[in-house]
Amino acid sequence: MMDQEHIASAFDRDLEGVQALIMQMGGLVETAISDAARALEMRDTELAEQVRRNDKLIDALEEQVASEVARVIAVRAPTAGDLRTVLSVLKISGNLERMGDYAKNLGKRTSVLSEMPAITGTGGALRRMTQLVNVMLKDALDAYIQRDVELAEDVRQRDSEVDQMYNALFREFLTHMMEDPRNITACMHLHFIAKNVERMGDHVTSICEQVVYLVTGDMPDEGREKQDRTSTDSALGKV
Amino acid sequence: MLDTTQTLLTERTMSKDIKISAKGVDVFYGDTHAIKNVDLEIENKAVTAFIGPSGCGKSTFLRCINRMNDTIDICRVTGDILLEGQDIYAKSVDPVQLRARVGMVFQKPNPFPKSIYDNVAYGPTIHGLAKNKAELDEIVEQSLRRAAIWDEVKDRLHQPGTGLSGGQQQRLCIGRAIATAPEVLLMDEPCSALDPIATAQVEELIDDLRQNYTVVIVTHSMQQAARVSQKTAFFHLGNVVEYGDTNKIFTNPEDSRTESYITGRIG
Ligand SMILES: Nc1ncnc2c1ncn2[C@@H]1O[C@H](COP(=O)(O)OP(=O)(O)OP(=O)(O)O)[C@@H](O)[C@H]1O
Ligand SMILES: [Mg+2]
Repeated sequence: MMDQEHIASAFDRDLEGVQALIMQMGGLVETAISDAARALEMRDTELAEQVRRNDKLIDALEEQVASEVARVIAVRAPTAGDLRTVLSVLKISGNLERMGDYAKNLGKRTSVLSEMPAITGTGGALRRMTQLVNVMLKDALDAYIQRDVELAEDVRQRDSEVDQMYNALFREFLTHMMEDPRNITACMHLHFIAKNVERMGDHVTSICEQVVYLVTGDMPDEGREKQDRTSTDSALGKV
Repeated sequence: MLDTTQTLLTERTMSKDIKISAKGVDVFYGDTHAIKNVDLEIENKAVTAFIGPSGCGKSTFLRCINRMNDTIDICRVTGDILLEGQDIYAKSVDPVQLRARVGMVFQKPNPFPKSIYDNVAYGPTIHGLAKNKAELDEIVEQSLRRAAIWDEVKDRLHQPGTGLSGGQQQRLCIGRAIATAPEVLLMDEPCSALDPIATAQVEELIDDLRQNYTVVIVTHSMQQAARVSQKTAFFHLGNVVEYGDTNKIFTNPEDSRTESYITGRIG
């Protein structure tokens, strides 16, 4: 990347401004994810409600990013690295907004689940999966700010762990449901939660791809294999 | 479906034909070394933009292509410039004939001190492009229309060209340059004195011209270079630092000096 400053210093301020908004969004999403995970584990409906409310802030920031980017494009006509910066900002804000929605969804399901008997044994795995995604998000945002392609690639690889954890949880929920049909409603909610967390991982991966594009000008190779096998795995029939 | 894909592939892989080829070109003004060992191949029927900081040699190099530098006493050009494989600096080449094939629009508008009509009719007349007055009238009208100035001058064709505004003079000079139907059109900052409407009209004209002509344009507007050209050459201190597809240069240039320049950083 260019460390040099623009002759028009206002252009530097514009680019710094939109990137600061991204970091602010990133911070709110990290908090939303960890709060949502804690609310789920502790059956804390108050905290879950707060996560749902705070999602509005994330949405508002995304809109602010979009209008700022539109203005910068209109006024500055960015090229080369500057162009890639504003394009990546736009894309990343979209990823963060979706992650915020998933956290909100966790909050909603937590409120519903707190009315039902707990499903034992799956809480720890869900918590580890959510924590993993949150660390990945933090690292992805660091990679973005540092323009660190190596770190971005590393985070991208870690997403397969998330996929594997999701596959394992999927089997576990299926087992619970087959054992006792009264578990079905709760397990379906938990399954959607796990799926949402898995989707969060995909958005983190997408952020990392933007880092690679931003620095190199090319999208990364499709080197990472999708690990969600729940739709094709014939072994599922034998569970 | 397959056919379009095939065509796309062929278009991509086919090496484009080269209209102008410069090899090891150096230009000196007395002791000033203005162009340093430049190699450049300019594609046929495409628009090539020359960009770079003031004084880097864009106009100098452009003037080599139709031997305009011959008119500057202290200027010395070495190396080869081939137009369709033919050395334009060969003894046998008549610079006046060459300039009919390689037309030029200058940085500053320079209409002849004659009527608007005569400014445009002059070239076609001396090169015998019109059989009669009606044909000449037609050439003048078409040239001025394509230069996006016809409506403003059609009622005053016999008034002096020097009486027009700066922007109008520049469009008149563009009309004059295309009146002889050159194969190559060299344009040195053709829009620097034009308003946005006239600029858009000239850009439209350039895009239209590339169906039949090879256009080389010097511009200080990065957006203009990005809009009108297919190839861009970045000049810096007399060297061509980077030359390639315009799309590539404006999204992901190879050289950090190119990036600094086009993004408006201190280079
Ligand atoms: N007629 C001349 N006599 C002496 N030196 C000249 C002459 N024309 C150009 N030069 C020198 O040659 C170098 C290149 O000038 P040139 O006009 O080609 O630059 P340019 O890239 O077109 O700049 P600009 O963007 O300002 O038009 C400069 O150092 C300039 O001072
Ligand atoms: Mg010049």
